[in-house]
Amino acid sequence: MKKLFAILLTVVMVLSLCACSSNSTSDSQSDSGSDSAPDASGGSDMEYVKDKGTLVVGITDFEPMDYKDDNDEWIGFDADMAKAFAESLGVDVEFVEIDWDNKIMELEGKTIDCVWNGMTLTDEVTSSMECSNAYCNNGQVVIVPSDTADKYQDTDSLSELSFAVEAGSAGEKEVAALDLTYTSVKTQADALMEVAAGTSDAAVIDSLMAAAMVGEGTGYDKLTYTCQLNSEEYGVGFRKGSDLAKALNDFFKESFGDGSMTECAEKYGVQAAVIEQ
Amino acid sequence: MDRIFEQMPVVISSLNIGFIQTLKLFFVTLLGAFPLGLLIAFGSMSHFRPLSYFSKFVVWIIRGTPLMIQLLIIYYFPGLVLHNPVWGGGEAGRFLAASVSFILNYACYFSEIYRGGIQGVPVGQEEAGLVLGMTKSQIFFKVTLLQMIKRIVPPMSNEIITLVKDTSLARIIALQEIIWAGQAFMKGSHGISGAIWPLFFTAVYYLIFNGILTVLLGRLEKKLNYFR
Repeated sequence: MKKLFAILLTVVMVLSLCACSSNSTSDSQSDSGSDSAPDASGGSDMEYVKDKGTLVVGITDFEPMDYKDDNDEWIGFDADMAKAFAESLGVDVEFVEIDWDNKIMELEGKTIDCVWNGMTLTDEVTSSMECSNAYCNNGQVVIVPSDTADKYQDTDSLSELSFAVEAGSAGEKEVAALDLTYTSVKTQADALMEVAAGTSDAAVIDSLMAAAMVGEGTGYDKLTYTCQLNSEEYGVGFRKGSDLAKALNDFFKESFGDGSMTECAEKYGVQAAVIEQ
Repeated sequence: MDRIFEQMPVVISSLNIGFIQTLKLFFVTLLGAFPLGLLIAFGSMSHFRPLSYFSKFVVWIIRGTPLMIQLLIIYYFPGLVLHNPVWGGGEAGRFLAASVSFILNYACYFSEIYRGGIQGVPVGQEEAGLVLGMTKSQIFFKVTLLQMIKRIVPPMSNEIITLVKDTSLARIIALQEIIWAGQAFMKGSHGISGAIWPLFFTAVYYLIFNGILTVLLGRLEKKLNYFR
């Protein structure tokens, strides 16, 4: 009886393992035709999305680009443009909040179809994703407590400060290039918290984010931003080799041409940063 | 301080939504891991060598690697390597993947606790059962099982309380549990940005829930005391 039970159990366990693996291999085989195609021919990522009927947009909660309104609906300059783009493709749009560190894995693993969230076009991003043309200007700015802001208006004065920057961000690169002392933290928000808590003297974050998050009437009213370290641009990232990037460039051209892009930007106060398409 | 009181209602309602995810993951994990752990325990105690080696191998893999890596592998591996994103990108898929990872992980820990509980029941009990002419399964269900349960309550309580806090690891695959909900207010969410206190406030939820669990598990332990 016991032996029988043991053998049964083994069979069930092994079978369940086999079932998993055979299932996924057969699926991947049947899929591989369409899956490997975009890499090779750059032809069918758009078809993949159209077949699915949904464009899954990977975002983070990032005012004014992607954030929730009172009805829990995703709005913002990026979110509205993404909705319009999906409509032009004739598919639904689904916004999924992701861990920003895992964006490339999410894309390649097809759990999302694009990253559309005020993403700075760095070498890392452009080499690992198929990126659209730049659509928005941004810069890295220095955040310091308001009462010491006068002393730190230019880059030469920054050397005595200890910085907090987001790991892997454009801000980290700028600080490293200037040979300043810094600590890498998980997000830009964490960097701000470091300054607010006094554990770091200063932080470097995106100017669009700084405009929305520090100063009078915000959560960080005792902080302010001083000098800008660089200028950079935002783009939208797709899977490597995807034809959706080109489709989006065409869409950007069209919507910039007819003024709907600027109109959308004005709604969220970022019209000054929009790049002509 | 005034600002905190202003923000309180919005933050609490958002944290509640996150905490429901935490609770869902907690209960689903327990529901799955209790029986699966028992199966694995039988497997590793089996006299049929391949089965016991296999079970011990699985337990070694799962206990020998961090849960965070298991979450990443289980969620991303199908899409990245097999080119078949079985879980999908939505919230339901992330929850399912997290549940599978947690159930597997906790079943392995539970299995070792079960094994200790079963093997801790004196051999004389089983022998007495045999003398009375009971079958092996009768002996297990009528003699061993309840004594085992009594023995494993304290170590299981430990694991269960650890599980409550471990659910926060699921945020690595963007499952929006309570820590995620708390952190969202640092960057800006629901019109509140730069608020640090919600993240720390999540601790209150964990504390209260674990307090309730501790009381319940303590009562269970007392109830089982008549076995001595």
